[in-house]
Amino acid sequence: MLTNAFYLAPLAAVTALLFAWYFHRQMTAEDEGTEVMRRIAGHVRSGAMAYLFQQYRVMLVVFLILAGLLAVLAFGFNLQSRLLPLGLLAGGFFSALAGYFGMRTATAASSRTARAASHSLGHGLRVAFRSGAVMGLVVVGIGLLNVTVWFYLMNLVYPAHEGDGHNLVLTTTTILAFGMGASFQALFARVGGGIFTKAADVGADLVGKVEAGIPEDDPRNPATIADNVGDNVGDVAGMGADLYESYTGSILAAAALGAAAFIGQGQLQLNAVLFPMVIAGLGIFLSIIGVFVVKTREGASQRDLLGSLSRGINLSAGLIILASLGAAHLMGIPNPWGIWGAVVSGLLTGIVIGKSTEYFTASSYRPTREIAEQARTGPATLVISGTAVGMISTTIPVLAVVVGTTMAFLFATGFVTTDLSTGLYGIGVAAVGMLSTLGITLATDAYGPIADNAGGNAEMSGLGPEVRKRTDALDSLGNTTAATGKGFAIGSAALTALALLASYIEVVRASMARAGQVSLNLHGDREVEVAVASLSDFMEYFEVTLLNPLVIMGIFLGAMAAFLFCGLTINAVGRAAGKMVEEVRRQFRDIPGIMEGTAEPDYSRCVAISTKAAQAEMMLPSLLAIIIPVATGLVFGVAGVLGLLAGSLATGFVLAIYLSNSGGAWDNAKKYIEEGHLGGKGSDAHKATVIGDTIGDPFKDTSGPSLNILIKLMSMVSIVTAGFNIAITLL
Amino acid sequence: MKTYLYLNLIPEALVASHLAPTEFGPYLATGTKKRTRGQAIFFEVDPAVENGVASAREAEDLCRPHEDGSPRRSTYLGIYRILERVPLAALGRLFLTTDDGRVLPLEKGAYQPEPGRSFHLYQEFCPVKPRVVSSLAPSEFVKRITDPKEKVSVPRIVFAEMKLEELAIDPEAPEVENLPYPNLEHLRDCLRELSRKQGKPTKTVVRHIQQDILFRTIRGGFFVGDAGGLLHYPMPPIEDLESKHYAWWRSALMTFGH
Repeated sequence: MLTNAFYLAPLAAVTALLFAWYFHRQMTAEDEGTEVMRRIAGHVRSGAMAYLFQQYRVMLVVFLILAGLLAVLAFGFNLQSRLLPLGLLAGGFFSALAGYFGMRTATAASSRTARAASHSLGHGLRVAFRSGAVMGLVVVGIGLLNVTVWFYLMNLVYPAHEGDGHNLVLTTTTILAFGMGASFQALFARVGGGIFTKAADVGADLVGKVEAGIPEDDPRNPATIADNVGDNVGDVAGMGADLYESYTGSILAAAALGAAAFIGQGQLQLNAVLFPMVIAGLGIFLSIIGVFVVKTREGASQRDLLGSLSRGINLSAGLIILASLGAAHLMGIPNPWGIWGAVVSGLLTGIVIGKSTEYFTASSYRPTREIAEQARTGPATLVISGTAVGMISTTIPVLAVVVGTTMAFLFATGFVTTDLSTGLYGIGVAAVGMLSTLGITLATDAYGPIADNAGGNAEMSGLGPEVRKRTDALDSLGNTTAATGKGFAIGSAALTALALLASYIEVVRASMARAGQVSLNLHGDREVEVAVASLSDFMEYFEVTLLNPLVIMGIFLGAMAAFLFCGLTINAVGRAAGKMVEEVRRQFRDIPGIMEGTAEPDYSRCVAISTKAAQAEMMLPSLLAIIIPVATGLVFGVAGVLGLLAGSLATGFVLAIYLSNSGGAWDNAKKYIEEGHLGGKGSDAHKATVIGDTIGDPFKDTSGPSLNILIKLMSMVSIVTAGFNIAITLL
Repeated sequence: MKTYLYLNLIPEALVASHLAPTEFGPYLATGTKKRTRGQAIFFEVDPAVENGVASAREAEDLCRPHEDGSPRRSTYLGIYRILERVPLAALGRLFLTTDDGRVLPLEKGAYQPEPGRSFHLYQEFCPVKPRVVSSLAPSEFVKRITDPKEKVSVPRIVFAEMKLEELAIDPEAPEVENLPYPNLEHLRDCLRELSRKQGKPTKTVVRHIQQDILFRTIRGGFFVGDAGGLLHYPMPPIEDLESKHYAWWRSALMTFGH
């Protein structure tokens, strides 16, 4: 029997979906504005939906092929759970569904936000933020519902109170593998969305701004709608899928680690498994409270706006700290203060990474201003400075993860460093803590592109300067919150990947059991049953030590995978942007009257070019995420795979921060100069920062964020193919 | 079809056209096939006032519609030393066109002297294009540079006063890094020289500006004049640019230049 605490999670998930529906209805009841505003919003909406459906068509084919392959492994060779193909499809489907709802809401909200901003700043903020909250609540609602429904169904087949705890291990590791569907969907959404958005952005800038001298968001630019569509597919659908995957992955990984850590301890084990779900459920309720707190007065300054958003986020975070302590005690979790400490460690790690991101990328702080100063001596010094700042900016997030992970480990174990299993459970719970208030933190992320698009809509519709000032204020706020959101995305990816690393061993254990292996033969003729073997026993059995060349080879391959993936995605943006440049040039040449404003450009063709390029270019990097772990497992076995995952995690995490922060800092150095500093718009310094920003575009919006998913997807693929690695390995 | 007369400053030419100023500007800036871009600055010329280049009848005779009835975009009536031949009385509004073809009309207005301003930065547009610093106010500057008794003079001149911020008072002012001009230290040196040498009222900063200029750096406005008179075309205040001429202002902010 599941305890009552379990039902809090699906109840919270359903509540999240109900509030998402309520906020969506509130948004659609708002005035969509003038005919021109509706027409522009319609272009963006149809472009975004065209992209999404094209992506989903491609994904459907890929998912069916993958599910077929997994079905062969499961039914033909008994190397997988037979539910895995279905779980894969479900994970992908629900992630896609969350992306669809988020995209529909965001593209419907932009013109309404612009219209609301014409009434007041507070009204604009409310429409934009609550529309962003739809995305946040849909992601956590569908994500937690998917997790809990599978858990409930699996519990019917393998009851938790039977099997001396092994049923729970089997259940959690099986559902964990289902996460591969969400991971794969996330990678496609992030890479495809990232390529789309930056191809459109760079293409629009290169021809529109640089060649034709047309300002941004000018309706004469054929790529301007594609640029606005890109904001949605990259930052709404891409970010949503990314965090959906992190959210479900962290809950499932923590549950699997809890099942393993407390195996054979009856109700205690079940509670440890349910605790991450309960924390996630509580986080949903507290996120909804936080959403209602976000409001501002007319005439509010930028600081007031940021304060308003921070109030909502901080309230949710503060309340989850209290609620998790209560939950840990009420659920009878062993060492409740320690586990609570792990939750708090995760939350603080996320906040520190977010603040560090803001420090290194916001123009109100020294690093970005120093980059801007370097623009006075040209693009070369600007690029050197931005590269250096990006590299230096990795320090605080890495230290935060190191300290946060260590503290989570120590708190969970009660400072008994030999209790590896409980410590790893603590790390898993820390990741859940970091993402527990995702409902509201993702709302601030999705708010960014809505405000950005609202600004574009106001610009193209020719709304008055007062409205544009308000939408600019909302947009500028979105840039700051997006930086913080990216910090959470990166931090949660690192912690989740760490937890997945440990979960991999649990899946290896389950796969060995499924394959009929009952014991591990260790050094000194020691024999340990697979079912009760500790993580250290597995490390010894597979010779996972730094002296084993297979591990070292794996680490090298992992580091290489991160760089190869980045190179491919950056190149993809360059090629796709090139196609966009050609198309925009063609339209200026072949459609008379564009520059005079008497003829409308063919916006849909630019959207189609970006869509097609994104779909074509995302395949190779995405497939690498599958091929590399499978091939490594085939050649180097479990030791090699663990090395690969460690290498890709360490390299990918640092590289992702470097790329995101250097790109963000270049972008904001440009904005700083555009505000009138160091010569302002049109000056030589500005020209240098435009170059820096263009270099940084694929860094911060394509490769950097995609790395988060790459490191998790490689872990997921390794988890799914663990049975295969056990059965077949060359070395 | 109405024939307009324009005195174009880049390059200096008198042009007849069937295009109204708001169409002529984009044509000059981006061409017919939109493969070019570049700022344009031109005056509308009153055909009723006799100019020394072409009469109104000549202009109409030469500027005929195309055979398919479409308007003639431009017929050059004369180039080289045109400014000095068109009387000030013939000059109407001045049009500033951004490099992507947004047009801002400037009306004539009264010039208000600014006592206490030590230095001025002037960008000359026609007939030559140096950028100079001067201790002379615009009216004195015009008198001096169009005075035939001076060794260096031109018959008539079009120029604009540019922003100098604190440097207008003190060449050593520290807070000037937000000025968009390249080589600020050279500009400062020129101002120092002006302040040191009392008998030297003008100093060349750049011999010939080869790029578009940043319209946003114009303060006060444009001047056209000679020994006989001075016309002033004040720039609208930024509030008006943002509210009434937003498309032009936004485009002007996008231009890269000096």
